[in-house]
Amino acid sequence: MLMQTWAMVIDAYRELCARKLFWITMALSGLVVLIFAAVGISKEGLTLLWFTLPIDGINTDILTKKFFYQNLFQGLGIGIWLSWIASILALVTTAGFFPNLIQAGSIEIHLSKPIGRLRLFLTRYLTGLLFVALQVAVFTTASFFVLGIRGGVWIPTVFLAIPIVIVFFSYLFAFCVLIGVMTRSAMPALLLTMLFWFALYIVNVGDATLVGFREGNQAIVDRNTLALERLEANTRKMVIEMKASEGTENYEPTDADLIAAMPLIERRRTDLVEEQEDLESLKKWAGRIYAVKTVLPKTAETIGLLGRWMIPQEEIDATRARSDAADGDDDETTPKPEATVEITLDDESDDAGQGMDPEAIEREFRSRSVAWIVGTSLAFEAFILGLAGFIFVRRDY
Amino acid sequence: MGHEGALAIDLSHVEKMYKGKVHALRGIEMRVERGEVFGLLGPNGAGKSTLIKILMTVIKPTKCTGTMLGSKVGDTETLSRVGYLPEHHQFPDYLTARQLLNYVGAMCKIPKNARNKRIDELLEIVEMTDWGDKRIGSFSKGMRQRVGLAQALVHDPDLILLDEPTDGVDPMGRRDIRGIIARLKDEGKTIFLNSHLLSELEMVSDRVAILLQGVVRTQGTMGELIESRANYCIDIEETTAGNTLVEIAARADATVADSGRGLVLPTTDASVAQPVIDALRAHGLTITRCAINKPSLEDLFIEAVVDPTTGKALPPGASKDKKHKKSKHEAAPADAGNGRAH
Repeated sequence: MLMQTWAMVIDAYRELCARKLFWITMALSGLVVLIFAAVGISKEGLTLLWFTLPIDGINTDILTKKFFYQNLFQGLGIGIWLSWIASILALVTTAGFFPNLIQAGSIEIHLSKPIGRLRLFLTRYLTGLLFVALQVAVFTTASFFVLGIRGGVWIPTVFLAIPIVIVFFSYLFAFCVLIGVMTRSAMPALLLTMLFWFALYIVNVGDATLVGFREGNQAIVDRNTLALERLEANTRKMVIEMKASEGTENYEPTDADLIAAMPLIERRRTDLVEEQEDLESLKKWAGRIYAVKTVLPKTAETIGLLGRWMIPQEEIDATRARSDAADGDDDETTPKPEATVEITLDDESDDAGQGMDPEAIEREFRSRSVAWIVGTSLAFEAFILGLAGFIFVRRDY
Repeated sequence: MGHEGALAIDLSHVEKMYKGKVHALRGIEMRVERGEVFGLLGPNGAGKSTLIKILMTVIKPTKCTGTMLGSKVGDTETLSRVGYLPEHHQFPDYLTARQLLNYVGAMCKIPKNARNKRIDELLEIVEMTDWGDKRIGSFSKGMRQRVGLAQALVHDPDLILLDEPTDGVDPMGRRDIRGIIARLKDEGKTIFLNSHLLSELEMVSDRVAILLQGVVRTQGTMGELIESRANYCIDIEETTAGNTLVEIAARADATVADSGRGLVLPTTDASVAQPVIDALRAHGLTITRCAINKPSLEDLFIEAVVDPTTGKALPPGASKDKKHKKSKHEAAPADAGNGRAH
């Protein structure tokens, strides 16, 4: 049994080695690793080869070397290179994996061997992930040593990239396999997978945007509720004092008294109701898109797990605090707005009601469980693979 | 594993209905004995490749009762004892011949050491030793066919199904392949051949079956099929009216037919021909030729696929059921084996 599996793995490896794109991707991975080797950080700023580029906020006073390299690896190496560019190249290379297998003249060779169709299908699927597995393994290992030798920081957590990127790619590859098995052609498989990936991207952006707006609006509603309460309290106090000056002691102002004394209260209440309605609407849509996302593979969030595991929230908070402190030193003369209530009372603060909270997106995404991110994505993958496997097993060739 | 009898392949009621109600096989009855070379003939579209693909589990039959090497058709494990060369095979261009054989051997669960030894042997048998480490992408069609034959034999199977093995092979190559088939037969292997080249089949086959419209129209040993259609031809020097000749022969109690140049007796028995010859000579007719006429495989094939009333070829096979009308010339499955009991 293992003999057949191993033979298929070796065959897949040979197939990959025979493709120029595999080696082009490998060479480009080497280039990215060289970029890691060329970039560094010092007390003065960002270093590039022998040059120092003084850039605000990028120096060892604010960013630790480890934090800098972790971000470089996660942001550039994984976030851009492996999860986008290399993955596209991987899809281009592997889109034909199943159509090639099931083409007339080839499938007969495989099906006429003592191996079950389902096992043949699953083994072929797993060997299709070999492209990405090899690329990410080589890239991560090279990065580990380059960051260690060049940057002096040894970050074993970079190896988490291997399972994460493979799992991420497997979502897309499963879809590609389904289309490949259905159409028996690499081109529709590739194009529809890219389209599917783009749709996932749009859903993710929609989710992030709605979460950002929801949290931003929630903060504004909370703030404006508080402001309104303070406004009402101040007005009440003002009316009581006014009545007291007129000789009426212990006067309990009515709502009409408050509005008569401060017409802005009514406008603020109306605004607040509208804001709450907007917030409810945002919550409803955010809930809907979350539900949609639950049944779809979560590509971006799966890749995001690397950042979550490599760079703990405390490290980010500490860096942020150092950055804020550095900003504070620069702007010591700038008074900090202490009375937020007063600010929100300005008409201009209405613009903030449209605003979003980017940090809330990060908080929300980081709070989502691994089981939800990976578990539901793998459930989708299993469903798609099951469908593709069903077609593969039942079909006449 | 079922009981292993004398039959390598024993098929009954094999039917295949494709989507769209295309009825490719309509009840195949076929038996292939162990150790024989069995030739499968038929025009394009008759269902030959469909039948082979059913045996190799590439296509699922709509209905099939039968065994292959004693196991039910479709049993995956039995495939480790069956070699297969598909028609229009596509071997990966990136592999060398040796790598391909290694891959196929591993898929057939042959241990590495035995596989390597076998690969060397096979490369020598198919005369590809010098090309063993060259990529298949650089091979000619004939060379690919040789490698294809080698991959069908890599696990030393008991039964070998070859679908158009001489396709694209030059005459020397064909001779070599015939030699390999003969050698395999000597080793006791059963070979199931599907080929359009009737002369090739005639040279190597022990038995043949002719497939048309999804049923076996004729099957039997080469000897049986030929003998059953062999006849005496008696040619007369001067053309005499055919009916006169027939009348003369009838007086000699012989069943004859007018050949245009003389008479045809549906027998190879000289004692039956002798009285007819005597009667013809008694009437002063000069006999210019008297010989046993044996049909070639091509004659048998043409006879099987041509409508005797119109002289035109019958439709080869797969047709949509709703349009299909059973021809009076189309053999029913039960009539298929007219050569032997099986």
